[in-house]
Amino acid sequence: MSSAAYLPVLIFAVISVLFVLVSFVVSALLRPTKHEPLKETTYECGEVPIGDTRIQFHFQYYMFALIFVIADVLTVFLALWALSFSPSNTLVNALMFVFTGMLVAIILYALKKEELIWI
Amino acid sequence: MSLPSWEAWTCVWGSRIGDTLNYLYSIPHSIATAILSFLHINLPQLNYLLTWVIASIILLVVVMVNVIILIYVERKELGRFMDRRGPFVVGPAGFFQNFADAFKFLIKEMILPENADGLGFNSTLVIVVASSMLIMAVVPQAPDFYYTNTDLGLLLAFAIFAIEPFAVVIAGWASNNKYSLLGGFRSTAQMMSYEVPMLITVLSVVVLAGTFNFTQIVNYQASHVWFVVPLIIGFIVFLISIVAEIERIPFDTPDAEAELVHGWMTEYAGIKFALFQLTSYVRSFAGAAIMVLIFLGGWTGPILPPILWFYIKVYAVFTLFVWMRASLPRVRIDQVLNLGWRSLLPLSLVNMLIAAFLKIYGGVFHL
Repeated sequence: MSSAAYLPVLIFAVISVLFVLVSFVVSALLRPTKHEPLKETTYECGEVPIGDTRIQFHFQYYMFALIFVIADVLTVFLALWALSFSPSNTLVNALMFVFTGMLVAIILYALKKEELIWI
Repeated sequence: MSLPSWEAWTCVWGSRIGDTLNYLYSIPHSIATAILSFLHINLPQLNYLLTWVIASIILLVVVMVNVIILIYVERKELGRFMDRRGPFVVGPAGFFQNFADAFKFLIKEMILPENADGLGFNSTLVIVVASSMLIMAVVPQAPDFYYTNTDLGLLLAFAIFAIEPFAVVIAGWASNNKYSLLGGFRSTAQMMSYEVPMLITVLSVVVLAGTFNFTQIVNYQASHVWFVVPLIIGFIVFLISIVAEIERIPFDTPDAEAELVHGWMTEYAGIKFALFQLTSYVRSFAGAAIMVLIFLGGWTGPILPPILWFYIKVYAVFTLFVWMRASLPRVRIDQVLNLGWRSLLPLSLVNMLIAAFLKIYGGVFHL
Protein backbone atom coordinates (compact mmCIF):
# COMPACT_ATOMS: atom_id res chain seq x y z
CA MET A 1 0.00 0.00 0.00
CA SER A 2 1.38 3.42 -0.90
CA SER A 3 2.07 6.21 1.54
CA ALA A 4 -1.04 8.02 0.30
CA ALA A 5 -3.08 5.76 2.58
CA TYR A 6 -1.48 7.46 5.57
CA LEU A 7 -2.20 11.02 4.45
CA PRO A 8 -5.64 11.11 6.18
CA VAL A 9 -3.87 10.31 9.49
CA LEU A 10 -1.80 13.47 9.03
CA ILE A 11 -4.98 15.49 8.36
CA PHE A 12 -6.53 14.07 11.53
CA ALA A 13 -3.38 15.02 13.49
CA VAL A 14 -3.73 18.64 12.31
CA ILE A 15 -7.44 18.66 13.20
CA SER A 16 -6.80 17.27 16.69
CA VAL A 17 -4.10 19.89 17.33
CA LEU A 18 -6.62 22.54 16.21
CA PHE A 19 -9.15 21.04 18.65
CA VAL A 20 -6.81 21.76 21.56
CA LEU A 21 -6.11 25.29 20.36
CA VAL A 22 -9.83 26.00 19.87
CA SER A 23 -10.60 24.81 23.39
CA PHE A 24 -7.85 27.17 24.66
CA VAL A 25 -9.46 30.08 22.79
CA VAL A 26 -12.95 29.26 24.10
CA SER A 27 -11.62 29.07 27.63
CA ALA A 28 -9.73 32.36 27.18
CA LEU A 29 -12.99 34.07 26.15
CA LEU A 30 -14.87 32.81 29.20
CA ARG A 31 -12.45 32.77 32.10
CA PRO A 32 -11.39 35.66 34.35
CA THR A 33 -7.72 36.68 34.44
CA LYS A 34 -6.37 38.31 37.59
CA HIS A 35 -2.65 37.93 38.06
CA GLU A 36 -1.43 37.79 41.63
CA PRO A 37 2.11 36.80 42.60
CA LEU A 38 0.89 34.58 45.45
CA LYS A 39 -1.37 32.63 43.11
CA GLU A 40 1.49 31.69 40.81
CA THR A 41 3.76 30.18 43.41
CA THR A 42 4.76 26.54 42.96
CA TYR A 43 2.27 24.21 44.60
CA GLU A 44 4.13 21.95 47.00
CA CYS A 45 1.55 21.44 49.74
CA GLY A 46 1.62 25.04 50.89
CA GLU A 47 5.27 25.00 51.93
CA VAL A 48 7.81 27.33 50.36
CA PRO A 49 9.82 25.10 47.95
CA ILE A 50 13.28 24.27 49.23
CA GLY A 51 15.94 24.64 46.57
CA ASP A 52 15.67 24.43 42.82
CA THR A 53 13.71 21.67 41.13
CA ARG A 54 16.00 21.19 38.14
CA ILE A 55 18.95 19.64 39.94
CA GLN A 56 21.05 16.54 39.34
CA PHE A 57 19.75 13.72 41.46
CA HIS A 58 20.06 9.97 41.74
CA PHE A 59 18.10 8.63 38.80
CA GLN A 60 17.06 5.18 39.91
CA TYR A 61 15.14 4.33 36.74
CA TYR A 62 18.29 4.56 34.62
CA MET A 63 18.91 0.83 34.81
CA PHE A 64 15.42 0.16 33.47
CA ALA A 65 16.09 2.55 30.61
CA LEU A 66 19.18 0.55 29.66
CA ILE A 67 17.31 -2.75 29.85
CA PHE A 68 14.51 -1.21 27.81
CA VAL A 69 16.91 -0.60 24.93
CA ILE A 70 17.77 -4.33 24.82
CA ALA A 71 14.11 -5.31 25.02
CA ASP A 72 13.14 -2.79 22.36
CA VAL A 73 15.69 -4.18 19.90
CA LEU A 74 14.29 -7.63 20.65
CA THR A 75 10.77 -6.37 19.94
CA VAL A 76 11.75 -4.86 16.60
CA PHE A 77 13.31 -8.13 15.42
CA LEU A 78 10.31 -10.09 16.73
CA ALA A 79 7.96 -7.78 14.81
CA LEU A 80 9.74 -8.48 11.53
CA TRP A 81 9.82 -12.21 12.30
CA ALA A 82 6.15 -12.33 13.32
CA LEU A 83 4.91 -10.63 10.16
CA SER A 84 6.82 -13.03 7.89
CA PHE A 85 6.31 -16.13 10.04
CA SER A 86 6.10 -19.36 8.11
CA PRO A 87 6.00 -22.81 9.77
CA SER A 88 8.21 -24.36 7.09
CA ASN A 89 11.13 -21.98 7.63
CA THR A 90 12.70 -23.99 10.45
CA LEU A 91 16.16 -22.39 10.30
CA VAL A 92 14.87 -18.85 10.79
CA ASN A 93 12.52 -19.95 13.57
CA ALA A 94 15.36 -21.75 15.38
CA LEU A 95 17.66 -18.73 14.99
CA MET A 96 14.95 -16.42 16.35
CA PHE A 97 14.43 -18.78 19.29
CA VAL A 98 18.15 -18.74 20.14
CA PHE A 99 18.37 -14.93 19.71
CA THR A 100 15.34 -14.35 21.97
CA GLY A 101 16.72 -16.76 24.56
CA MET A 102 20.06 -14.96 24.64
CA LEU A 103 18.51 -11.52 25.07
CA VAL A 104 16.12 -12.77 27.77
CA ALA A 105 19.04 -14.31 29.65
CA ILE A 106 20.83 -10.94 29.43
CA ILE A 107 17.75 -9.08 30.67
CA LEU A 108 17.24 -11.44 33.62
CA TYR A 109 20.95 -11.17 34.58
CA ALA A 110 20.74 -7.38 34.43
CA LEU A 111 17.62 -7.38 36.60
CA LYS A 112 19.37 -9.60 39.15
CA LYS A 113 22.29 -7.14 39.25
CA GLU A 114 19.84 -4.25 39.45
CA GLU A 115 18.48 -5.51 42.80
CA LEU A 116 21.78 -4.41 44.39
CA ILE A 117 21.51 -0.79 43.28
CA TRP A 118 17.78 -0.22 43.87
CA ILE A 119 17.09 2.09 46.79
CA MET B 1 -25.54 6.76 -1.65
CA SER B 2 -28.09 4.27 -0.39
CA LEU B 3 -28.54 2.23 2.75
CA PRO B 4 -26.99 -1.26 2.61
CA SER B 5 -29.28 -4.16 1.87
CA TRP B 6 -30.51 -6.60 4.47
CA GLU B 7 -27.83 -9.09 3.39
CA ALA B 8 -25.18 -6.49 4.06
CA TRP B 9 -26.52 -5.92 7.57
CA THR B 10 -26.76 -9.59 8.45
CA CYS B 11 -23.47 -10.64 6.85
CA VAL B 12 -21.38 -9.57 9.81
CA TRP B 13 -18.91 -12.43 9.49
CA GLY B 14 -17.72 -11.55 6.02
CA SER B 15 -15.17 -8.95 5.11
CA ARG B 16 -16.43 -5.65 3.81
CA ILE B 17 -13.37 -3.69 2.83
CA GLY B 18 -13.82 -0.79 0.48
CA ASP B 19 -14.62 2.85 0.63
CA THR B 20 -18.08 2.61 -0.93
CA LEU B 21 -19.47 0.96 2.22
CA ASN B 22 -17.48 3.09 4.63
CA TYR B 23 -19.85 5.70 6.07
CA LEU B 24 -16.96 7.65 7.57
CA TYR B 25 -15.72 8.20 4.00
CA SER B 26 -18.87 8.20 1.87
CA ILE B 27 -20.92 10.67 3.94
CA PRO B 28 -18.15 13.32 4.15
CA HIS B 29 -17.36 12.74 0.50
CA SER B 30 -20.95 13.45 -0.56
CA ILE B 31 -21.06 16.53 1.69
CA ALA B 32 -17.77 17.83 0.26
CA THR B 33 -18.91 17.18 -3.31
CA ALA B 34 -22.19 18.99 -2.64
CA ILE B 35 -20.42 22.01 -1.14
CA LEU B 36 -17.89 22.23 -3.98
CA SER B 37 -20.51 21.83 -6.70
CA PHE B 38 -22.60 24.55 -5.01
CA LEU B 39 -19.56 26.84 -5.18
CA HIS B 40 -18.78 25.75 -8.78
CA ILE B 41 -15.26 24.61 -7.88
CA ASN B 42 -13.83 21.57 -9.62
CA LEU B 43 -10.61 20.70 -7.84
CA PRO B 44 -10.02 17.03 -6.91
CA GLN B 45 -7.33 17.98 -4.37
CA LEU B 46 -9.69 20.37 -2.58
CA ASN B 47 -12.41 17.74 -2.61
CA TYR B 48 -9.99 15.23 -1.05
CA LEU B 49 -8.90 17.69 1.64
CA LEU B 50 -12.44 18.80 2.46
CA THR B 51 -13.65 15.18 2.60
CA TRP B 52 -11.00 14.16 5.11
CA VAL B 53 -11.41 17.34 7.18
CA ILE B 54 -15.15 16.64 7.51
CA ALA B 55 -14.41 12.97 8.27
CA SER B 56 -11.90 14.04 10.95
CA ILE B 57 -14.44 16.31 12.59
CA ILE B 58 -17.06 13.52 12.56
CA LEU B 59 -14.55 11.08 14.09
CA LEU B 60 -13.55 13.66 16.71
CA VAL B 61 -17.21 14.15 17.64
CA VAL B 62 -17.71 10.36 17.84
CA VAL B 63 -14.70 10.04 20.17
CA MET B 64 -15.89 12.99 22.30
CA VAL B 65 -19.40 11.55 22.66
CA ASN B 66 -17.90 8.23 23.67
CA VAL B 67 -15.64 9.92 26.21
CA ILE B 68 -18.62 11.71 27.76
CA ILE B 69 -20.55 8.44 27.99
CA LEU B 70 -17.47 6.64 29.37
CA ILE B 71 -17.05 9.19 32.16
CA TYR B 72 -20.74 8.86 33.03
CA VAL B 73 -20.54 5.04 32.92
CA GLU B 74 -17.45 5.06 35.11
CA ARG B 75 -19.03 7.34 37.70
CA LYS B 76 -22.23 5.30 37.84
CA GLU B 77 -20.46 1.95 37.98
CA LEU B 78 -17.91 3.17 40.52
CA GLY B 79 -20.82 4.38 42.61
CA ARG B 80 -22.44 0.97 42.50
CA PHE B 81 -19.16 -0.78 43.32
CA MET B 82 -18.80 1.51 46.35
CA ASP B 83 -22.42 0.95 47.38
CA ARG B 84 -23.65 4.44 46.54
CA ARG B 85 -25.67 5.88 43.68
CA GLY B 86 -23.20 7.93 41.70
CA PRO B 87 -24.27 11.23 40.12
CA PHE B 88 -28.06 11.73 40.03
CA VAL B 89 -28.81 15.43 40.52
CA VAL B 90 -27.91 17.20 37.24
CA GLY B 91 -30.09 16.13 34.32
CA PRO B 92 -31.80 12.75 33.86
CA ALA B 93 -30.07 10.21 36.13
CA GLY B 94 -27.20 12.66 36.53
CA PHE B 95 -26.12 12.44 32.89
CA PHE B 96 -25.34 16.15 32.59
CA GLN B 97 -22.91 16.09 35.52
CA ASN B 98 -20.02 15.81 33.03
CA PHE B 99 -21.18 18.88 31.13
CA ALA B 100 -21.45 20.83 34.38
CA ASP B 101 -17.89 19.79 35.30
CA ALA B 102 -16.58 20.63 31.85
CA PHE B 103 -18.13 24.09 31.98
CA LYS B 104 -16.71 24.65 35.45
CA PHE B 105 -13.22 23.78 34.15
CA LEU B 106 -13.77 26.05 31.14
CA ILE B 107 -14.37 29.17 33.26
CA LYS B 108 -11.54 28.46 35.71
CA GLU B 109 -8.58 30.79 35.68
CA MET B 110 -5.42 29.58 33.93
CA ILE B 111 -2.20 29.85 35.89
CA LEU B 112 1.36 29.58 34.63
CA PRO B 113 3.43 28.84 37.75
CA GLU B 114 6.47 30.95 38.44
CA ASN B 115 9.77 29.74 36.96
CA ALA B 116 7.89 27.31 34.73
CA ASP B 117 8.99 26.91 31.12
CA GLY B 118 6.02 28.27 29.17
CA LEU B 119 6.82 26.57 25.89
CA GLY B 120 7.34 23.13 27.42
CA PHE B 121 4.41 23.58 29.77
CA ASN B 122 1.89 24.32 27.01
CA SER B 123 3.25 22.39 24.02
CA THR B 124 3.35 19.09 25.93
CA LEU B 125 -0.37 19.46 26.57
CA VAL B 126 -0.99 19.75 22.83
CA ILE B 127 1.21 16.72 22.12
CA VAL B 128 -0.44 14.55 24.79
CA VAL B 129 -4.00 15.37 23.76
CA ALA B 130 -3.44 15.28 19.99
CA SER B 131 -1.44 12.05 20.02
CA SER B 132 -4.09 10.33 22.14
CA MET B 133 -6.81 11.44 19.73
CA LEU B 134 -4.69 10.25 16.83
CA ILE B 135 -4.83 6.63 18.01
CA MET B 136 -8.49 6.48 17.06
CA ALA B 137 -7.65 7.50 13.47
CA VAL B 138 -6.02 4.13 12.78
CA VAL B 139 -8.41 1.98 14.85
CA PRO B 140 -11.42 0.82 12.80
CA GLN B 141 -14.75 0.57 14.58
CA ALA B 142 -16.73 -1.52 12.09
CA PRO B 143 -16.25 -2.80 8.52
CA ASP B 144 -18.47 0.10 7.44
CA PHE B 145 -17.17 2.71 9.87
CA TYR B 146 -13.45 3.37 9.90
CA TYR B 147 -11.22 6.35 9.28
CA THR B 148 -8.26 4.61 7.67
CA ASN B 149 -7.69 0.92 7.09
CA THR B 150 -3.94 0.69 6.52
CA ASP B 151 -1.71 -2.35 6.28
CA LEU B 152 0.35 -1.26 9.27
CA GLY B 153 -2.59 -0.09 11.40
CA LEU B 154 -1.73 -2.15 14.47
CA LEU B 155 1.93 -1.09 14.44
CA LEU B 156 0.97 2.54 13.87
CA ALA B 157 -1.55 2.47 16.74
CA PHE B 158 1.12 1.33 19.20
CA ALA B 159 3.68 3.75 17.77
CA ILE B 160 1.25 6.61 18.46
CA PHE B 161 0.46 5.12 21.88
CA ALA B 162 4.14 5.46 22.79
CA ILE B 163 4.44 9.19 22.01
CA GLU B 164 2.92 10.28 25.31
CA PRO B 165 5.80 9.41 27.76
CA PHE B 166 8.17 11.86 26.05
CA ALA B 167 5.65 14.68 26.45
CA VAL B 168 4.94 13.64 30.03
CA VAL B 169 8.56 13.77 31.13
CA ILE B 170 8.94 17.21 29.52
CA ALA B 171 5.74 18.34 31.26
CA GLY B 172 7.13 17.24 34.61
CA TRP B 173 10.42 19.01 33.95
CA ALA B 174 8.79 22.23 32.68
CA SER B 175 6.39 22.61 35.62
CA ASN B 176 9.25 23.40 38.03
CA ASN B 177 7.58 21.34 40.74
CA LYS B 178 9.19 18.40 42.50
CA TYR B 179 5.96 16.39 42.49
CA SER B 180 5.57 16.95 38.76
CA LEU B 181 9.16 15.94 38.11
CA LEU B 182 8.84 12.70 40.09
CA GLY B 183 5.51 11.95 38.43
CA GLY B 184 6.99 12.47 34.98
CA PHE B 185 9.90 10.12 35.64
CA ARG B 186 7.62 7.51 37.16
CA SER B 187 5.29 7.73 34.19
CA THR B 188 8.15 7.21 31.76
CA ALA B 189 9.63 4.29 33.69
CA GLN B 190 6.24 2.61 33.96
CA MET B 191 5.36 3.07 30.29
CA MET B 192 8.79 1.77 29.23
CA SER B 193 8.36 -1.32 31.38
CA TYR B 194 4.93 -2.19 30.05
CA GLU B 195 5.56 -1.29 26.43
CA VAL B 196 7.69 -4.40 25.86
CA PRO B 197 5.32 -7.13 27.20
CA MET B 198 2.40 -5.44 25.47
CA LEU B 199 4.16 -5.32 22.09
CA ILE B 200 5.35 -8.93 22.34
CA THR B 201 1.80 -10.03 23.17
CA VAL B 202 0.48 -8.12 20.19
CA LEU B 203 3.15 -9.76 18.00
CA SER B 204 1.89 -13.21 19.07
CA VAL B 205 -1.46 -12.20 17.60
CA VAL B 206 0.38 -11.11 14.44
CA VAL B 207 2.08 -14.54 14.25
CA LEU B 208 -1.33 -16.22 14.19
CA ALA B 209 -3.09 -13.77 11.90
CA GLY B 210 -0.08 -13.00 9.69
CA THR B 211 -0.90 -9.31 9.23
CA PHE B 212 -0.82 -5.91 10.93
CA ASN B 213 -4.16 -4.89 9.40
CA PHE B 214 -6.96 -4.62 11.97
CA THR B 215 -9.68 -5.68 9.52
CA GLN B 216 -7.81 -8.78 8.42
CA ILE B 217 -7.08 -9.74 12.05
CA VAL B 218 -10.80 -9.50 12.85
CA ASN B 219 -11.73 -11.49 9.75
CA TYR B 220 -9.21 -14.17 10.71
CA GLN B 221 -10.80 -14.41 14.15
CA ALA B 222 -14.27 -14.56 12.62
CA SER B 223 -13.32 -17.51 10.42
CA HIS B 224 -11.25 -19.35 13.06
CA VAL B 225 -11.54 -18.58 16.76
CA TRP B 226 -11.28 -15.49 18.96
CA PHE B 227 -7.65 -15.11 19.97
CA VAL B 228 -8.64 -14.89 23.62
CA VAL B 229 -9.15 -18.69 23.57
CA PRO B 230 -5.71 -19.93 22.42
CA LEU B 231 -3.81 -16.93 23.79
CA ILE B 232 -5.44 -16.60 27.21
CA ILE B 233 -2.04 -15.88 28.82
CA GLY B 234 -1.46 -13.13 26.31
CA PHE B 235 -4.92 -11.70 26.99
CA ILE B 236 -4.18 -11.42 30.70
CA VAL B 237 -0.73 -9.91 30.05
CA PHE B 238 -2.26 -7.45 27.60
CA LEU B 239 -5.03 -6.48 30.03
CA ILE B 240 -2.52 -5.68 32.80
CA SER B 241 -0.18 -3.89 30.39
CA ILE B 242 -2.88 -1.75 28.82
CA VAL B 243 -4.20 -0.71 32.25
CA ALA B 244 -0.63 0.27 33.17
CA GLU B 245 -0.19 2.11 29.87
CA ILE B 246 -3.32 4.21 30.32
CA GLU B 247 -2.41 4.74 34.01
CA ARG B 248 -5.67 3.67 35.56
CA ILE B 249 -5.95 3.07 39.25
CA PRO B 250 -4.12 -0.13 40.16
CA PHE B 251 -1.15 1.28 38.22
CA ASP B 252 -1.59 5.05 38.56
CA THR B 253 1.65 5.63 40.46
CA PRO B 254 2.54 8.63 38.20
CA ASP B 255 -0.36 10.60 39.64
CA ALA B 256 -0.84 8.93 43.00
CA GLU B 257 -2.82 11.42 45.04
CA ALA B 258 -1.56 10.15 48.38
CA GLU B 259 2.16 10.56 47.65
CA LEU B 260 2.53 12.97 44.71
CA VAL B 261 -0.20 15.60 44.75
CA HIS B 262 -1.41 14.85 41.24
CA GLY B 263 1.86 13.71 39.70
CA TRP B 264 2.89 15.44 36.50
CA MET B 265 -0.54 17.16 36.27
CA THR B 266 -0.14 19.05 39.56
CA GLU B 267 0.50 22.52 38.12
CA TYR B 268 -2.04 22.35 35.30
CA ALA B 269 -5.22 24.29 36.04
CA GLY B 270 -8.59 24.90 34.43
CA ILE B 271 -9.08 23.78 30.86
CA LYS B 272 -5.62 22.18 30.73
CA PHE B 273 -6.47 19.83 33.57
CA ALA B 274 -9.83 19.07 31.94
CA LEU B 275 -8.05 18.18 28.69
CA PHE B 276 -5.66 15.83 30.53
CA GLN B 277 -8.56 14.08 32.24
CA LEU B 278 -10.33 13.80 28.88
CA THR B 279 -7.16 12.37 27.35
CA SER B 280 -7.00 9.60 29.92
CA TYR B 281 -10.51 8.54 28.88
CA VAL B 282 -9.63 8.77 25.18
CA ARG B 283 -6.72 6.43 25.91
CA SER B 284 -9.00 4.10 27.87
CA PHE B 285 -11.38 4.02 24.93
CA ALA B 286 -8.57 3.38 22.45
CA GLY B 287 -7.03 0.68 24.65
CA ALA B 288 -10.36 -1.07 25.08
CA ALA B 289 -10.98 -0.81 21.33
CA ILE B 290 -7.59 -2.32 20.44
CA MET B 291 -8.13 -5.10 22.98
CA VAL B 292 -11.55 -5.89 21.52
CA LEU B 293 -10.17 -5.91 17.98
CA ILE B 294 -7.18 -8.17 18.54
CA PHE B 295 -8.49 -10.54 21.21
CA LEU B 296 -12.28 -10.47 21.43
CA GLY B 297 -13.28 -10.85 17.80
CA GLY B 298 -13.81 -7.16 17.05
CA TRP B 299 -17.19 -6.39 15.54
CA THR B 300 -18.21 -9.99 14.83
CA GLY B 301 -21.37 -11.26 16.44
CA PRO B 302 -24.82 -12.55 15.55
CA ILE B 303 -27.92 -10.54 14.50
CA LEU B 304 -26.92 -7.05 15.67
CA PRO B 305 -25.03 -4.74 13.29
CA PRO B 306 -21.21 -4.79 13.60
CA ILE B 307 -20.84 -1.28 15.02
CA LEU B 308 -23.22 -2.13 17.85
CA TRP B 309 -21.27 -5.31 18.68
CA PHE B 310 -18.07 -3.29 18.71
CA TYR B 311 -19.46 -0.80 21.21
CA ILE B 312 -21.02 -3.53 23.38
CA LYS B 313 -17.61 -5.20 23.67
CA VAL B 314 -15.75 -1.92 24.24
CA TYR B 315 -18.08 -0.96 27.07
CA ALA B 316 -17.80 -4.47 28.56
CA VAL B 317 -13.98 -4.16 28.57
CA PHE B 318 -14.25 -0.68 30.06
CA THR B 319 -16.47 -2.10 32.81
CA LEU B 320 -13.64 -4.55 33.51
CA PHE B 321 -11.26 -1.58 33.86
CA VAL B 322 -13.68 0.11 36.28
CA TRP B 323 -13.99 -3.14 38.22
CA MET B 324 -10.20 -3.33 38.58
CA ARG B 325 -10.15 0.29 39.70
CA ALA B 326 -12.85 -0.30 42.29
CA SER B 327 -11.46 -3.49 43.78
CA LEU B 328 -7.64 -3.32 43.62
CA PRO B 329 -5.33 -1.14 45.72
CA ARG B 330 -2.63 0.96 44.14
CA VAL B 331 0.72 -0.80 43.75
CA ARG B 332 4.03 0.74 44.74
CA ILE B 333 6.34 1.98 41.98
CA ASP B 334 9.04 -0.68 42.49
CA GLN B 335 6.33 -3.36 42.58
CA VAL B 336 4.98 -1.97 39.31
CA LEU B 337 8.39 -2.19 37.64
CA ASN B 338 9.14 -5.65 39.04
CA LEU B 339 5.77 -6.97 37.88
CA GLY B 340 6.41 -5.61 34.42
CA TRP B 341 9.92 -6.91 33.96
CA ARG B 342 10.00 -10.10 36.02
CA SER B 343 6.50 -11.54 35.47
CA LEU B 344 4.93 -10.07 32.37
CA LEU B 345 7.97 -10.17 30.08
CA PRO B 346 8.58 -13.95 30.55
CA LEU B 347 4.83 -14.61 30.35
CA SER B 348 4.56 -12.69 27.09
CA LEU B 349 7.44 -14.71 25.63
CA VAL B 350 5.75 -17.95 26.73
CA ASN B 351 2.64 -16.66 24.99
CA MET B 352 4.71 -16.02 21.86
CA LEU B 353 5.98 -19.62 21.97
CA ILE B 354 2.41 -20.90 22.29
CA ALA B 355 1.37 -18.83 19.28
CA ALA B 356 4.27 -20.12 17.16
CA PHE B 357 3.55 -23.70 18.28
CA LEU B 358 -0.14 -23.37 17.37
CA LYS B 359 0.74 -21.86 14.01
CA ILE B 360 3.16 -24.70 13.20
CA TYR B 361 1.14 -27.66 14.46
CA GLY B 362 -2.38 -26.38 13.89
CA GLY B 363 -3.79 -27.85 17.06
CA VAL B 364 -7.40 -28.30 17.97
CA PHE B 365 -8.40 -24.79 16.91
CA HIS B 366 -7.65 -25.27 13.19
CA LEU B 367 -5.26 -22.38 13.29
